[in-house]
Amino acid sequence: MNVMSEFVYPVAGLIGLYAFVSFASLLWEGIDRKLVARMQRRVGPPLIQPFYDFLKMASKETIIPNTANFMFRASPVLALATAIALLAYTPMGFSPILAKKGDVIVFIYLLALISFFKIVGAISSGSPYAKIGAAREATLMVSREPAMMLALFTIMWRLGKLGISKPFSMGVFYVHNIWQIGTPMSMVGAVILLYVFIVWLASEIEAGYFNIPDAEEEIAEGLLVEYSGRYLALLKLTKSLKTYISASLVVAIFFPWGIAGYFGLAGLSADVVNLLFHTLKVFILLFAVMSVFRASTGRLQITKAVNFLWKNVFVAALVGSLLIAMEVIA
Amino acid sequence: MTEKVEYWVKIPFGPIHPGLEEPEKFILTLDGERIINVDVKLGYNLRGIQWIGLRRNYVQIMYLAERMCGICSFSHNHTYTRAVEEAAGIEVPERAEYIRVIVGELERIHSHLLNLGVLAHDIGYDTVLHLTWLAREKVMDTLEAVSGNRVNYSMVTIGGVRRDIDEKRKRIILDAMKYYREVLPQMEDFFLQDPTIEARFRDVAVISRRVAVEQGAVGPTGRGSGLKDDARWSERLGVYPDLGIKPVMPQDVTGERPHGDVFDRAAVRIGEIKQSIELIEHALDQMPDGKIKVFAKDNILVAKLRNLVDGEGIGRYEAPRGELVHYVRGKKGSDKPLRWKPREPTFPNLFAVAKGVIGDQLADFVVAVASIDPCLSCTDRVAVMEDRGRKRVLTERDLIKASIKKTREINPDIRGDPTPVGLGCSR
Repeated sequence: MNVMSEFVYPVAGLIGLYAFVSFASLLWEGIDRKLVARMQRRVGPPLIQPFYDFLKMASKETIIPNTANFMFRASPVLALATAIALLAYTPMGFSPILAKKGDVIVFIYLLALISFFKIVGAISSGSPYAKIGAAREATLMVSREPAMMLALFTIMWRLGKLGISKPFSMGVFYVHNIWQIGTPMSMVGAVILLYVFIVWLASEIEAGYFNIPDAEEEIAEGLLVEYSGRYLALLKLTKSLKTYISASLVVAIFFPWGIAGYFGLAGLSADVVNLLFHTLKVFILLFAVMSVFRASTGRLQITKAVNFLWKNVFVAALVGSLLIAMEVIA
Repeated sequence: MTEKVEYWVKIPFGPIHPGLEEPEKFILTLDGERIINVDVKLGYNLRGIQWIGLRRNYVQIMYLAERMCGICSFSHNHTYTRAVEEAAGIEVPERAEYIRVIVGELERIHSHLLNLGVLAHDIGYDTVLHLTWLAREKVMDTLEAVSGNRVNYSMVTIGGVRRDIDEKRKRIILDAMKYYREVLPQMEDFFLQDPTIEARFRDVAVISRRVAVEQGAVGPTGRGSGLKDDARWSERLGVYPDLGIKPVMPQDVTGERPHGDVFDRAAVRIGEIKQSIELIEHALDQMPDGKIKVFAKDNILVAKLRNLVDGEGIGRYEAPRGELVHYVRGKKGSDKPLRWKPREPTFPNLFAVAKGVIGDQLADFVVAVASIDPCLSCTDRVAVMEDRGRKRVLTERDLIKASIKKTREINPDIRGDPTPVGLGCSR
């Protein structure tokens, strides 16, 4: 049991990752706002506007409603803490810091926990709009996760068959990737699952069609309606982190290739180069799934979104999973 | 009462809400996301314009009428002017009527583009909002070039118009119309073909023909439900018949029979923008030469109206939101009207849509309200100031109570059930 390698390095790595991902995800928000503004023929805010927003909100007075209980104050902190913890399990160009056998379950659990804390905070605020937003968020969460979980577990299981040391770990994607399975049917299945994951990502970051729980015009930003000041800043940062993390999952599954090998790098410098390249891939993916999707669609009603997620996306996940798993089962 | 009642919640929607453009309040009874009942509460935007108006002379009221509402400022001014002209028996020169048509249709284009943008914004489709409002800038600039102002044009005066449209202004307007002929196909693409818009607008807030008739829906709201009515057409208003006016029905635009939903109302607006462009081009073509107003100066006008106005006059005009009526009653020898009463299209439309939205989802509510293009600053009318400065707004129920009281005073033997029926304000 070495204290340095078991404790100090992971914590230092996590802190470093947290600093980097906060910066990158807030920067992405600025890029996204600028890009969408250009698509709408506006000028748009400066690239570092999200940083200004964060600092401004953090310095503003925080108003707590009379009807709120202590979870209202606790949940933004808990949500951010969950997002930071999640970074230790997120594949970001290299095997996650705490990659262990079966950590995919921890990943999904923590990702859902962020939404859960947001819901708890909203319900505790006592505002009817926040409650409607919480109901919508819960409905959407229940509808979007099964398709993703089915697809993710199938991919994990199938990749495990190719022979690896830590099955069902987030590090799997950097040993084998989904395109290596090789059979024509699995290629088709992988493309179908890519569609499933892209829709899941859009609904996870609540862009375009799925901007339902935070609908500004309908329920006055739903979950966030009573939050202000510091707590709003924390929730916004959590949302940015979550966007980056969710996109990282999709990038790791479908586009895991790093570039450090081409430069003959190894160790920490290889990880840094891969992280930067991974961030670039995340930005490109988010450009397609978030900016373009957000600029070219409006939001759906919650019933239509749920119908779409079950009847279309879940069925696609089922078909894609069967195609990938087919030759092993048969 | 069924057992379901215990799950119902009432939430306030407004008066201040990001989805509403103006202060208006709705109490929604919800079963989850489904709307069970809508209770409309008005009176948050009352400025007592009628009260102020009764202390001004006829010319001063024109400025007041114009400032009732920013978007249909021309309509109010124009309708009021028509009412006074009818009461005074003034014949308006034909060229002035044509200029009124041109400015009125320019205003219609700008109002409809504004509403279409708001509709898109309410479903979170901000790209369409920004592109529509970008297109709207052109007509605002044109109006500024023609009248000197972007919003309150002050184009109309009693007995004519204030400014002529000369060759230079005519060219500017024709340029703008050319621009809109290019832009309009894109608008049709957005609002008639886009899958998101179709998913959110189709079969939402359906106002059936029956409800539209019952509640007296007017304008695009009524036409969207299949009521063939347009004050410009049915009243044979001014020179509109010469220009070949026809009410735009949803089937002319979408090719389907009217559903009475948000989509149809948006389609009618698209069709009306197209129609307005044609009307403006025809009007510029056919405009005869001649005088543009009867009285050269406003002081002459005030002096003349003192003797001319005797009795009452009603002005009707199809504002962008529907039929607008102004009623003016005056007495010979006074330069103030005895009574001046505008009746705005939003009032009946609001109650029609409040009925239509029942059974839909909460998400549809903002879109449904925006689809009638509500103008609350026009609508809020009745308030009573009591002695100690305490303000009380009289609503439907209070007025009914007052009427019942008065009726009882006049005729104590009257029979009948005095409880209000229908969708009333439970204040």
